Amino acid sequence: MFGIGKRKYARETDLLVLGSGAAGLTAAITARDAGAEVLVLEKSGRVGGTSAVSGGVVWVPCNPHMAEVGVSDSRAEALTYLRKIADDRTEDTLLERFLDAAPEMIRALEASTPLKFVALGEYPDYHPELPGGKPGGRSMEAGLFDTNELGPWKDKLRRSPIFGGTPMTVTEAMTWGVFSKPLALPYAELGKRYKAGMVCYGGSLIGRLLKGCLDRKVEPQLDTTALSLIEEDGRICGVVARQGGQEIAIKARKGVLLATGGFEWDAGLVRRFLGVPLTHPNSPPTNTGDGLRMAMAAGADLGNVGEAWWCPSVVVPGEEYDGKPLNRGDFSIRSLPHSIIVNRRGQRFVNEAANYNDLMKPFFNFEPNAYERPNLPAWLIVDRQFLEKYILVTAVPGMQTPEFITQGATLAELAAKMGIDPAGLEATVARFNAFAVEGKDRDFGRGDSLYDRFYGDPARTLNPNLGALEKAPFYALPVHSGSIGTKGGPRVDVDARVLHVEGGPIPGLYAAGNVMAGITGPGYPGAGSTIGVAMTFGWLAARHAAGARPGGGR
Amino acid sequence: MPEVTYERRLAVPVERIWDFVQDMNNWAPMLTGYQKHEILSDTKSIWTLKGDVGILSRTVRLEVNITEWNGPGRVAFTLTGQNEQVEGGGLFEMTTVTADTPAAVVAAPVSGFQRFLRWLFRGLFKRKFGEVTFTPAAAGAATASLRFTLRMDAGGPTGPLVNAMLEPALLPAAEDLGNKIAAHLTGAQGASSTQA
Repeated sequence: MFGIGKRKYARETDLLVLGSGAAGLTAAITARDAGAEVLVLEKSGRVGGTSAVSGGVVWVPCNPHMAEVGVSDSRAEALTYLRKIADDRTEDTLLERFLDAAPEMIRALEASTPLKFVALGEYPDYHPELPGGKPGGRSMEAGLFDTNELGPWKDKLRRSPIFGGTPMTVTEAMTWGVFSKPLALPYAELGKRYKAGMVCYGGSLIGRLLKGCLDRKVEPQLDTTALSLIEEDGRICGVVARQGGQEIAIKARKGVLLATGGFEWDAGLVRRFLGVPLTHPNSPPTNTGDGLRMAMAAGADLGNVGEAWWCPSVVVPGEEYDGKPLNRGDFSIRSLPHSIIVNRRGQRFVNEAANYNDLMKPFFNFEPNAYERPNLPAWLIVDRQFLEKYILVTAVPGMQTPEFITQGATLAELAAKMGIDPAGLEATVARFNAFAVEGKDRDFGRGDSLYDRFYGDPARTLNPNLGALEKAPFYALPVHSGSIGTKGGPRVDVDARVLHVEGGPIPGLYAAGNVMAGITGPGYPGAGSTIGVAMTFGWLAARHAAGARPGGGR
Repeated sequence: MPEVTYERRLAVPVERIWDFVQDMNNWAPMLTGYQKHEILSDTKSIWTLKGDVGILSRTVRLEVNITEWNGPGRVAFTLTGQNEQVEGGGLFEMTTVTADTPAAVVAAPVSGFQRFLRWLFRGLFKRKFGEVTFTPAAAGAATASLRFTLRMDAGGPTGPLVNAMLEPALLPAAEDLGNKIAAHLTGAQGASSTQA
């Protein structure tokens, strides 16, 4: 919504950043270092957005740390890979801009902030066997972070409901066998770290970026919701925001950056744009498409709005986060032996160990004759062996099985309890068990990819992702359609400027992160590609805005 | 096992505290995050509470067993998680003291079911009773001491980590229960905190 005429501004700045995730904070630091005055508005009472609850990994091809772990890379390989992952939907100019800018962005942040990355040499791309894919090295982590470094901002850092309680680095998690040997984790040490205020993953990434902001006297304005953009003379020059129950106008002399996250928590936008059910988002519930609405009101051209970073979700009844039911993303459980995912017919329909984004696509299959989606709802089925070795959501080996996990003395009994066809489930398990003996999933290729095996149990040398379901009791857990964030919204150019539906950039308006039309199309290149792209386009936006002159129309 | 003790002084007779405390129905709703409770027998009940465990909020069912009933002065109980692997217990101790009797130092928080119980006690009280303030009892006046001890321990291999998450909630939970009982019995008058 645009304002008309001159208005009174409560505050002025150069670059106004909406959202305090990785994209927003990267932009804030970058613009400040370029000499611009910066103001960050955050809708919630905590800093960090979706990034803070994430794995905090950053995917950057040709990054400056790949050589340290012995992995080579090239722009040509990365471009080939990205084109394929993006399903050829994204202009090469954007992909190339990302590939060229991302390593420079990393170097710039490492040189000027507490961010120091380590490349994860064994964390494969999500399709490492595709041309240009890599077996590791493009994903980086920021290690642990001591929140005491934030001083009074310590308690303002958003914590992940999943990762926030287990302060370990990704490298440690891989070394310790976080998925396959959960009982071997040093829980006493993790408890000490928790009490000491250490955070990991997204908490560490955002903690370090926030420290970088605070060091520059950039303090995010919390509990401040941007409501609408202000246009003057054909240029976006501020926003109307709600703060402390009052609406205020804030002027942005050099631009407004939308870094407000996706729209996965707005059921109306989900219905309108996605075309398939998204019922259990994993992100903070403040992601309600605010930036998307503002961009549309400004005449933005939209792209990739039918896509999301999909993730199967499971629910522990009664768990809440930020006042909403907590939907836990299943990043690893389904990849472990002695487990399968089935539909109501008791049939498998996907490689359960595939990456969480691509795994979800078959959940949405549509049967024209029956006019239904046969793979929703779906259930994760495991046997006693699984519960004796691995953690199933909150079920720890040797402890009582939580009541939200349904049990059956036989597969047929379990199926009857869940509304699954018993004969179908028995036949499926018999077939799967034969695959497990052979070590080869002849239906869906589970365990064929290096990615699958990364999340498996290395003790299963024949196939780390396969193990028979043969020891009663058997257990079932509903698997829901979830997402760590949508990735459609305003299209941008190579400087992260939002493009108008009639062509050309909208002066003064930028976008980065999940609010923007994602450059990876329907795909997920590797761990941290959400954040890697978000930070890069936040960096590009800040650099352009800080050097841009106010005024001028489209 | 994580354990905390919280003491309140009240300008009321011990017997009055006892009358109130001995009926669980009186103070059960004063627990932060209280959802419901079901009394199964003279000594056994099931409590459903909702509270923070670390960063997220969970609903927990606890079986409460009274193990000692010595009125008017002492009630001891054990807690056993029904849907979570936690165990614990607690103690209500009521004694007559004078205002100038040195207050027992409240034990430092030890660790336990903390944020969960903070929610469990704090939120509900604000909603139901509003914020309360306390004024100290006059020096030399006869008062009673209400001491509440609470301990919780998460079992299993992940126990040390879970306990670290729970610990911050235990003392606030004990404080809230003690404060609310005091507020109820004194009409927010004559109670004083002796929290260390």
